[in-house]
Parts: sequence; structure tokens; C-alpha cells
Amino acid sequence: QVHRLRSVDNLFVVVQEFKDYQFKENKEHALKDLEDLVKKLPWTNPLKVWELNNSLKKKKTKRKKHNLQSPVSKEKLSDGGEEGGADQKDTNDQEDCAQNTVGVESTDSQDTEKPHGVASQNTGSGMELGDGQAAEGEAKVLKFRVTCNRAGDKHSFTSNEAARDFGGAVQEHFQWKADMTNFDVEVLLNIHNNEMVVGIALTEESLHRRNITHFGPTTLRSTLAYGMLRLCDPQPTDIIVDPMCGTGAIPIEGAAEWPGCYHIAGDNNPQAVKRAANNICSLLRKNENKDSSTALGVPLDIIQWDICNLPLRTGSVDIVVTDMPFGKRIGSKKKNWDLYPACLMEMGRICTPGTGRAVLLTQDKKCFAKALSRVGHIWRRAQTVWVNVGGLHAAVYLLRRTGEAAEERRAPW
Amino acid sequence: KLGHPSELPPEPAPDYEGDEEFLRRVHHVLLEVEVLEGVLQCPDSGRRFPISKGIPNMLLSEDEA
Repeated sequence: QVHRLRSVDNLFVVVQEFKDYQFKENKEHALKDLEDLVKKLPWTNPLKVWELNNSLKKKKTKRKKHNLQSPVSKEKLSDGGEEGGADQKDTNDQEDCAQNTVGVESTDSQDTEKPHGVASQNTGSGMELGDGQAAEGEAKVLKFRVTCNRAGDKHSFTSNEAARDFGGAVQEHFQWKADMTNFDVEVLLNIHNNEMVVGIALTEESLHRRNITHFGPTTLRSTLAYGMLRLCDPQPTDIIVDPMCGTGAIPIEGAAEWPGCYHIAGDNNPQAVKRAANNICSLLRKNENKDSSTALGVPLDIIQWDICNLPLRTGSVDIVVTDMPFGKRIGSKKKNWDLYPACLMEMGRICTPGTGRAVLLTQDKKCFAKALSRVGHIWRRAQTVWVNVGGLHAAVYLLRRTGEAAEERRAPW
Repeated sequence: KLGHPSELPPEPAPDYEGDEEFLRRVHHVLLEVEVLEGVLQCPDSGRRFPISKGIPNMLLSEDEA
């Protein structure tokens, strides 16, 4: 069940957590300490959890052959208490969703060596090869690698050095074989200033890129998209629109997780529209494999449009959810001064008065606040969640549509 | 304009919500038929919007907006 969480990037079982670890200032000493640590860590239970997790994953990968997505286990983890060590951030609380990605996000700094996308095919087939053998690791020599994520400016060593030396000690201790790409066990060494967590990964690749195959310049993490959608509290039959969808991360996540709603995606940029369409096709193909019968459709459509002139009737949409241009990679801060108020007005027009809501992500908080103050008669700010998006301090705003009807413009329709 | 003109009335009948046959046809047209290449036409202005590869382009030109 832990695997079904949609807002978590990675899952790992904790071997040991050090709240305040004193790293030696001298690099060699610091690294030697890490090496010595390996022998002292309580590996037995976490490895049991890892085995359990593996056997669940194998049942899934037997059916799928070529699947870019990491397998999601649908079977209950019945381990009687061993699981206590799983990622402490895996809470279902929706308020924490975006903040969870803050915590987990920090592991994806440039120090990480995790492979993306295609690599999971290797691990997937690696699992299948091992199918004939015993599920327990004792019978065969396991392959492993160590990934170190390090954040902080006072360390005397780099993540690569730590991973290398820790890995060396792990190899000695267990007599496992080191393999960067075809590994069975991924040992995690997560260091954040003086906090250190040693863990064993339970997910193969970060779940933040599920459902997306074609990426654009600012594709939103699916985990963040999921969190934003949850904040809207979608009800069955709700119409959910992302008027600046880019590569479609939000509507695709929406259609996958909330199939009882109808999702409409739109963007003015032809490349974005093309990428989003490709991502939708990939999603359809994925559904095809699962059912092995006629492919079911997906309640999602995409249109090329201008957010300032949406071809949607007034008051016809329940939810607007979008990742607004930060003004960094897309658009500009200057353009935002005009764009944001125009967006809010048009989103206010299409949204149903009283029950409608909007969840908007932006880093340009100043501009957003100013724009919002101008549309106070149609939008009311209900909640703000702070998030870290690729190192930028952004915010997700939940807005509620007031009861006031929007002025009927003379639309060119 | 989909080539099924005889199946749907031009306007919904007053009690269309109870008419299952009608609802089936509307559902089919709305959710099961996908226009890959074609045109959307505005009933008021007559302005035509092209559909290519299933995606309508509803962008207005400079002077229209």
C-alpha cells in the first residue's frame, strides 16, 4: 500500500538515522568513519523489508515486459511491524503533500547519480532474470550500488567520495558485487548538514516522472501535480481545466488518478501541445497493455488556445489548476504583470461561481499577490502551500470562486 | 456535421434527460467520436477553427482578440 502513494518521490527503508552526526573535518578521517560505520549498522531487518518489497515487485514485473514506469505494487505489505522504517515522509495528509516534495526534493540535487527513465528497464529485466532463483538474497551474490545525496557546505568530502568509500566497505562487509546499473540493492546515504540517513531503496526510480514520456523545458513533477489536484478536492463529474498545461503533467495525472472527472488541457504554444498530445498517447498505450483488450479512452482532451480568450462558456468549469509561468524559463516577469491579472479574470469567468476553485502554482509571488488584489470580487484566497520547485521557492495558492457572477464580455465566439 | 445527421435532432427535446436513446447518441458523439482532421465552426460568427491530429486550434488572430 505504501507503493500506492502518489505524492511521494522515493521510498526507502531506514537502516539508521543519525540526527546529529559529527563529520570529521579532515576528509580522510571523515570517509574512514563512514567506512567503519558499515559494520556497526543494523542491516538485518531493513534487508528483510527489502526482500519483502522485492517479492511484491516481482509479482508485478512478471506481467509487464517493457514498462518505463517503476512497478507499483497493489498488494498489501503484510510484514508485522518490520515496516516501521519506511520513508518517514510518506504521509497521506494533503496539506503536507507539497511540503513532502520539499523534503524529498532536496535529494535530487546535482550530486545524485540516479539514472532516470530508461534505466528502470534494466532493473525491470534484471528482476525477471532473477525470477527462477530464490527470492531471498542469501542464495546468490547480490549486486549493489551506493547513492549518496549530500547537501550542506561544511563537509570535507563530496557525495561521490562518500558513495565510493561507503560502497567499498559495504562490498567488504557483505561480499556483494558492485554494479552501477544492474543492481539488486541500492544503498542510500542521505546527508543533510549534520543529519544522515542510511537507507535501502524500495523504489527503482523516483516516482516524480511517472506518466510523462515527453518532457518540455519546465515539466512539472507528477508528484507535485498530484498534490495540487488533491488540494482542489475533485468530485466525480467535475470539469477540471488546465489552461496553461505545457507538457500536460497536471491533466495527465488528473485523468490517471481521477477518472471520474473530465480533464481539459490547453496551451498556446504548439510544441507544448504536441508534447502533451504525445504524453496522452503514451498513457493510452500504457492502459492498453494493462487490459490487453480494446484500449479504454481517457477522460482528457487537449486544445490549442489563448488563456486570455478561452473558448469555454462562462461558469462552466468546476476547477482550474495550473502551473503559471514563473517568468524565468517561460515568459518574463515583465509579461507576468499583464498576464497574471488577465489570467485570473478569464479563469474567474469560466469557473462556476460559489463552488468553483482554482489551484495555482507560481514562483512570482509578488506579481500574483498584486493580480489577486485586483480580482478580489471573484477570487478569495483560501490556502497557501509553500513548495520548492527545482530550487525555487514557489507557492501553491488555493482560491475559491466567490458567488459573484462574472461580467459577460462580448466574446468573439 | 459528422456524417450522422439523421441520428440527432437539431435541439434536445424538453425531457431529454429521461430519453435514454437520445442520451446514448449524444454520449457517443461527445465522448466516443474523435475528430482527427476537421473544423469547428462557431454558430454565431461562422468563424472556422481547424482541427489537426485531434487537436483544435482556437487561437485568435491579432485583430480578432
